[in-house]
Amino acid sequence: MGNAKQTIARRAGGELKDGQIINLGIGLPTLIADYVPEGVDVVIQTENGGIGVGPAPAPGCEDRDRANAGNQPITLVPGGSYFDSVMSFAMIRGGHVDSTFLGTLQVDEEGNIANWVVPGGLLAGMGGAMDLVTGAKIVHIVTEHCGRDGSSKLMKKCTFPLTGAKEADVIITERALFRRFPETGWILDEVAVGYSLDDIADCTEMAYTVADGVRLDAYGGE
Amino acid sequence: MPKNKVVPIEEAMSHIKSGMSIAIGGFIGQGDPLTLIDHLKTMDVGDLTIYENDAGYRDRGQVELVNQGKVKKIVASHVGTTPDIAKAMNEGRLEVEATPQGTLAEMLRSGGAGLGGFLTPTGIGTVAEEGKQIIEVDGKPYILVPAVRCDIALVRAHRGDTWGNLIFRGTSRNFNVPAAMCADYVIAEVENLYTMGELDPEAIHTSGIFVDAVVRANVSYCTVREDPLETAVRSK
Repeated sequence: MGNAKQTIARRAGGELKDGQIINLGIGLPTLIADYVPEGVDVVIQTENGGIGVGPAPAPGCEDRDRANAGNQPITLVPGGSYFDSVMSFAMIRGGHVDSTFLGTLQVDEEGNIANWVVPGGLLAGMGGAMDLVTGAKIVHIVTEHCGRDGSSKLMKKCTFPLTGAKEADVIITERALFRRFPETGWILDEVAVGYSLDDIADCTEMAYTVADGVRLDAYGGE
Repeated sequence: MPKNKVVPIEEAMSHIKSGMSIAIGGFIGQGDPLTLIDHLKTMDVGDLTIYENDAGYRDRGQVELVNQGKVKKIVASHVGTTPDIAKAMNEGRLEVEATPQGTLAEMLRSGGAGLGGFLTPTGIGTVAEEGKQIIEVDGKPYILVPAVRCDIALVRAHRGDTWGNLIFRGTSRNFNVPAAMCADYVIAEVENLYTMGELDPEAIHTSGIFVDAVVRANVSYCTVREDPLETAVRSK
């Protein structure tokens, strides 16, 4: 499963809708920009102060004043613009960003997300994640299904400090895709190539319902 | 005519005293006021409380002040790009208050805008609400976040005029805008200095009303150095 991250990013790309404004977290979520489906046009916002993020600049054309929130050099597409942090978070908190894609340490049955600090570990900080999960209309959690120790990241209840309470809407892992609705809780919609419904049950701690029309071999297997 | 606020860096920075609170603009190196931070490194001050999005990038930026023992506390959203900060915290040399990025920006802005605070939904149900008052509006809970006023602000701009009107470049605008609003004495380092009237009034990002002192940025930190000859032509 060396390409788990690519599998997740590719499937996450399939969630994008034409015309959406999206914000991609640092790390795995950034890869999603490489998997925007043909015919779908999205506008990428970066919380340090840019909208309309385009491809990385050609080598030698990097500019210290044009970078994303992970400090990687960026370009802007025509129509893109820059702004300050107050304006950026007015966009984010104000519900003007359609969708955010974030990695996580833990996510749970109620849609709680814990992705900014491990108790007793080194403090990095939440950055813009708390604002993003609060303000974005759809919160996509993109993560490997299990942690390095093999335990499920999809938990009964988060044990780490929360980034957001009841904010997760979609979970995409290299094994399965779940959607959460207030009236039903988590629904297992898709299972990736190489996994059975039993496999997913074995590695998922949170409660969920299998969708009537659950799709097996829905993605992955590249 | 608005006043000429260009002063020697020593004079501007002499306003900084031990125990003060300082807001610093920039975002992990993008738009960090390194000329002013370099100067602060040479000063005999300590016990500072710093409001900044982060602590710089790798070994550059505010982290250098921490390593010198000048900083008592940082209020920031993310300090993961400067490994020395974790070390200073673990050794008990530094207190870090982690604050959501949008909340921190708004704390500085509202401090500068004369507000007592603001209501944000960010952090409801998390540690960010601990010790804070929760206020419901139309049935929805918000955290009451008090505004912040600082003694000093250090910012960096791509262009500035002698009154302190500022224009930033690209993603270097970030926290420089709210930082410039929130302090009693605001020092701006500018990469390219213009006389009054040379900058397009339609294009000013931060009005000189917020700025108290203007100094030239160290040439080696300038991203784009503009040609003074071009300036002379434009000023005709």
